[in-house]
Amino acid sequence: MHTKPLTFSSAIPEEAAPSAGALMHRRPLIYLAGLLLLTLLVGVIIWQRVMPAPAQYGMVLQSPQRATDFALASSTGGTLRLSDFRGQYLLLNFGYTSCPDVCPLMLANLAQLEAELGAQAENVQVLFVSVDPARDTPDRLTTYLSAFSPSFLGATGDEAELAAATTQFGVYYQRRQSGESENYFIDHTASVVVIDPEGYVRLFFPNGTTGAQMATDLKGMMRW
Amino acid sequence: MKVLSLWNLLLVMPVIGVLAFVIVQPVQVLPRIALAPGFALIDQDNHPLTSEDLRGHITLYTFTYTNCVAPCPQTGQTMQALQEELASLDTGGLPVRLVTVSFDPGRDTPAELSHYAQEMRANLNIWRFVTGGAAQLKQVIGGPFNTYYTQNSDGTFTFDPTFVLVDGWGIQRARYRSAMPDLGILLRDIQLLANEVHNSKGITKYAYEAAHLFLCYP
Repeated sequence: MHTKPLTFSSAIPEEAAPSAGALMHRRPLIYLAGLLLLTLLVGVIIWQRVMPAPAQYGMVLQSPQRATDFALASSTGGTLRLSDFRGQYLLLNFGYTSCPDVCPLMLANLAQLEAELGAQAENVQVLFVSVDPARDTPDRLTTYLSAFSPSFLGATGDEAELAAATTQFGVYYQRRQSGESENYFIDHTASVVVIDPEGYVRLFFPNGTTGAQMATDLKGMMRW
Repeated sequence: MKVLSLWNLLLVMPVIGVLAFVIVQPVQVLPRIALAPGFALIDQDNHPLTSEDLRGHITLYTFTYTNCVAPCPQTGQTMQALQEELASLDTGGLPVRLVTVSFDPGRDTPAELSHYAQEMRANLNIWRFVTGGAAQLKQVIGGPFNTYYTQNSDGTFTFDPTFVLVDGWGIQRARYRSAMPDLGILLRDIQLLANEVHNSKGITKYAYEAAHLFLCYP
């Protein structure tokens, strides 16, 4: 029998083999699609890991100067300085224990923030500066703050000391007599100022920012 | 090869995108320099003016004293010129205020400030003249506003002529270390602040925050 050697081309029927021309046109498109997906994926990973989430609730500041040091009387006794908190995020807020609504709300939000931060709360210290030294003794501050969190610190001082601790943070306060009685209120700025571990004012939350919102911003900042 | 150059183009596109953002600067912002100080001062009508009153307002501060006569830097002229231009500025409803702070409370009583305001032809609805206690003023002006001033033995003051632009959040956005800063630049900066407030909502807010992180300032 006369057998022809089986060549490759004769073994495959003509119709079954896809035309070489058609495959050549489709290949770049497949590469393109794959590349786009890859770029998107890589881009998203980079964005998540490297870029800080933009602060959505607070204002991020880029101050070239550190906050000026100040000294106050601590609720735990002794003197407390701003420079003592280097290496931690310090959350400053201002008020007084007889404050009817704004201060308890702010402190509750800060307690919620602490809860949301979980393990990261180790790097964070909340400091409540009382603008009412006449009534807010260290003991009174400790009792008041313990209702919100055991880790909160309180501090106060005389007029000059408080000026050094409030003016630079945009905090204003003024006593207001309550009718005929000896009782008085203190109008004050209710915001939370965040000082970073190097001593720069980095973030500022207006009154009313919830704990969850502050946590979002802080976590983004800590990642960076 | 065609496929190879497409590959290159796709890799380069994100880089081009970032460069375009930086070069073209579709979004311009002023830096957030520092928090503006908290204060409670007294104005020319003997009414209090506090930092809380100015929250929500774009405010331009300057620091001087009424007995400032040449060669003392004349910052009042810039405030006057700005006062005229403010009417034509469209801030989309955001109020703009001018505040002249006197660091000479010994002579600049509210009555004196009121007289000075009249000389300046000030519109008291937008331009206020304030002062306070000497120690408090040093704390406010020398502190967060970072402006040097000192009284000389003859009663005159030596000071760095400075204007500070503060936004509605109480954040200092620009400092102009000159008695006569360019009026065009002042107006442009106020406009930039107003634009940022109006435009940085939703997804565009990310563009504004990115601008704060990446761009050089105008």
